[in-house]
Amino acid sequence: MKGRDTILSIRDLEVTFKVRDRQLKAIRRISFDLYRGETLAIVGESGSGKSVLMKSLTGMLESNGTVSGGSIRFFGEELAQKKKPREWESIRGAKIATVFQDPMTSLNPVRTIGSQIVEVMMKHQRCSRKRAKQLAIELMERVGISEAAERFDAYPHEYSGGMRQRIVIAIALACRPQILICDEPTTALDVTVQAQILNLIKQLQQEEGFTTIYITHDLGVVANVADRVAVMYAGQIVEYGEVEEIFYESAHPYTWALLSSLPQLGQKGERLFSLHGTPPSLYHDIVGDAFAPRNQYAMRIDFEEEPPFFEITPTHYAKTWLCDPRVPFFKRPKAIEGLHQKMVMIYQGGNVSGNREERSFSFNSRS
Amino acid sequence: MGTEKKEVLVSIRDLEIKFDEYVAVSNVNFDIYKGETFSLVGESGSGKTTIGRALMRIHETSKGDIFFKGKKINQKVGARLHKELIKKMQMIFQDPAASLNERATIDYIVSEGLRNFRLYKNETERQQKVREALLSVGLLPEHLTRYPHEFSGGQRQRIGIARAMVMEPEFIVADEPISALDVSIRAQVLNLLKKLQQEKELTYLFIAHDLSVVRFISDRIAVIHKGKIVELAEAEELFLNPLHPYTKSLLSAIPIPDPRLEKNKKLVVYTGEEHDYSEDLPKWKEIKAGHFVWANDAEEKRYRMQMKIG
Amino acid sequence: MQDSRFEFVTVDARVAEEIEAPSYSYWQSVSKQFFKKKSTVILLLLMVVIILVALIQPELSGYDPMNSPNINRPEMRFRGISLQYPYGTDGVGNSVWDVVWAGTRTSLLVGFIVACINTSIGVVVGAVWGFSKAIDKVMIEVFNIISSVPYILIVTVLLYTFGRGFWQLILAMCLTGWLSTAYFIRTQVMIIRDREYNLASSCLGTPMLRLVSRNILPYLLSVIMTNVSLEIPAAISTEVTLSFLGIGLNVAVPSLGRMINQYANYFNGYPHLFWAPVLTLALVTISLYVIGQTLADASDPRTHR
Repeated sequence: MKGRDTILSIRDLEVTFKVRDRQLKAIRRISFDLYRGETLAIVGESGSGKSVLMKSLTGMLESNGTVSGGSIRFFGEELAQKKKPREWESIRGAKIATVFQDPMTSLNPVRTIGSQIVEVMMKHQRCSRKRAKQLAIELMERVGISEAAERFDAYPHEYSGGMRQRIVIAIALACRPQILICDEPTTALDVTVQAQILNLIKQLQQEEGFTTIYITHDLGVVANVADRVAVMYAGQIVEYGEVEEIFYESAHPYTWALLSSLPQLGQKGERLFSLHGTPPSLYHDIVGDAFAPRNQYAMRIDFEEEPPFFEITPTHYAKTWLCDPRVPFFKRPKAIEGLHQKMVMIYQGGNVSGNREERSFSFNSRS
Repeated sequence: MGTEKKEVLVSIRDLEIKFDEYVAVSNVNFDIYKGETFSLVGESGSGKTTIGRALMRIHETSKGDIFFKGKKINQKVGARLHKELIKKMQMIFQDPAASLNERATIDYIVSEGLRNFRLYKNETERQQKVREALLSVGLLPEHLTRYPHEFSGGQRQRIGIARAMVMEPEFIVADEPISALDVSIRAQVLNLLKKLQQEKELTYLFIAHDLSVVRFISDRIAVIHKGKIVELAEAEELFLNPLHPYTKSLLSAIPIPDPRLEKNKKLVVYTGEEHDYSEDLPKWKEIKAGHFVWANDAEEKRYRMQMKIG
Repeated sequence: MQDSRFEFVTVDARVAEEIEAPSYSYWQSVSKQFFKKKSTVILLLLMVVIILVALIQPELSGYDPMNSPNINRPEMRFRGISLQYPYGTDGVGNSVWDVVWAGTRTSLLVGFIVACINTSIGVVVGAVWGFSKAIDKVMIEVFNIISSVPYILIVTVLLYTFGRGFWQLILAMCLTGWLSTAYFIRTQVMIIRDREYNLASSCLGTPMLRLVSRNILPYLLSVIMTNVSLEIPAAISTEVTLSFLGIGLNVAVPSLGRMINQYANYFNGYPHLFWAPVLTLALVTISLYVIGQTLADASDPRTHR
């Protein structure tokens, strides 16, 4: 844990959108560090600000949005002050690349796959067209496109959704970025393809050593890829920690709610835990804890004062008054007690038939 | 679900659906029993939605039969049967943003079906029915004059459910009703569907792409791949004893929301090359009571062996 | 010591279902959005004034193209701009001011009547056309044949058949004019016909006519507005063009087109005679177009949020 190498450091970041004469605070004072080589997953529902946060790292905010406060330091360079597209050129795509949910939005439908990779290659690696083509084919093979040389001249629509996403990943990696942002990269794909793409990104990360930020709402994907997890709610990070800390020892009631409403935990004939209501409107100033109106564990103070981050372990922090020593005794929701044992029961339990080998899991104890 | 006395509500026999020359769905056979939740699980393009829509008579079929309460419904039906089918069979759609008429009030949307067949004696009764439907899905009567865009995704989906419920149906096709919703809202909608099923003795055909979601709400699950149902069994049976290699691959692919399990699982990849159907052709076979699989004779033998060991 | 601020409270789940925002009303939002744009409001006021003057002024002046009382008074010809004759007088001693307003009245009437008829027929036919595959097969052939002949040519031929005159012109312009609107609506209907909310309606047994009137047409309101805002100026220019060419209206009906034709002869000596109808025409068509476009934008609910 100690002596980790920070490559991106965000402090008190604020992003404001101007919508019809009204100010919408999409990001409300967020701070976090990104460590070299790790995979950080940012979890949150739509409107929590997770995508806005990522866009602010690459200068891709919509024209009515601005970084209105705080700093983003990337290798000693301040990104929060960058305004013009030209200032972003050396960062976006080159050092921080993004893979989006829908591969079609990143590909030009009227140009061949090959020419799109070659273009990026030539721009960022400053090599000849011939060399770029060679490199592009190698890269296509590395992202799992078989017969890459033949498929080089195909158009995006001739590729399946999964293959298109592989190409988007190839383009993102063409300039050897230090950070790869994956914005719901598999949401539009089928589960079997999703699993392959997740594995591909992991494998490439091991080979290339880049750092990955995942944005997702799928806790299964988080469990698959993340080293660390940050949970976002209403424009803020409310809890962050190592992946096992978040799944097995979560401390924020919103994280509890997300975990306990997992349909996998459902028991026949019983209700699933469900959150009522909707996230607060970010047009208004939020007093106290933004989650309070939906919180089963709400206390009076939650409606009056915004909680600070409480340290649970040196790697695990939660922004909730429930961690305050003055809180009376309470129990965490039953649904998430012994989550791991429950999951083992659900996915392995009673598995007495002969096909165990296909779904065998080995259990490492926590390191 | 007791397996003793099962009343068949919907019955599909040798169904085939073509779009021009392309066969979207073929060799589909299953029954849905009254009061159960039958899930149809598959990936995009597998034909699961097509089957649901054929049941709702939105798509025409090219071969085979669909029966509802013993009456064939995949053909031109008379006005009386049409009215009865609309009342008894309803649908819940995937995308709450796209499935509501944005230019109509909630009052109009929820009472649309009632108006079409004048299923009320007077205006007071209509209003009464609409209010009850709204309350049953946890919305407030004061929402009646609002427009869909004023609601959140979860609320919209509940409006869609109220619109179906007001018809007092017996059978509901729920086409991926939670996949477009935020994770924190999904449980709420699942609970609601479950609650309504208990209160109103509903039968569901639940169409989904995520096996793990379906497990907790389904009585039986059918897995569909490229237009063919490859396996059908009771929910727990399917999870514990998956037979078809595609089912296994699908099960292994779903990310488990548990880092220790998920980070150590092995992927099973299905290519279709597992089968040798050059001479020995596959058929729809019952390997064990209620556990069907699309297999040829050689595979059937192997599957039976597997079961015995278990 | 227990801190009272750290006591658990229960939150009411019902509260979360309430909608804070004030109730939405479509037409209120449309008018709010429309009147937001100052330039359009000015053009709208201008248009109202033009319409009122065009309706009233010719009644007061009693201008009649068949009767030029000053034709034998040479001193009345080509008078300069004055208070009594704001646009001066023309070669037969008529006040150009009177002639322009009489012509404007004809143009506006033609524009509004033709756009009204063409849009009504076009929308109704287009909506059914877009919905029914059987009708589409026939209609698309009809459309292909008729749209391959230039519109102005069809109107000219029809005018020769019917004879020249105000209502003849309107009939000629409407007989095939609705077809392009219908085709446009048909395409729009096809785009939204298979959307999920329409499937939902058919699952509820909604008959086709109600599907068209409640599900489809409300969505098309804004594109219909756009169409109308193009249709009115287009009809006006067609009338002017035809009259300019001498085949539109007969000489008994005052027309901007014929004025432009006649006054173009005096362009070298008295250019203001030419510019008066031309600028009036430009002002009318541009204002109508801008107002229509703003209304079209305002009637699109996406601009309401």
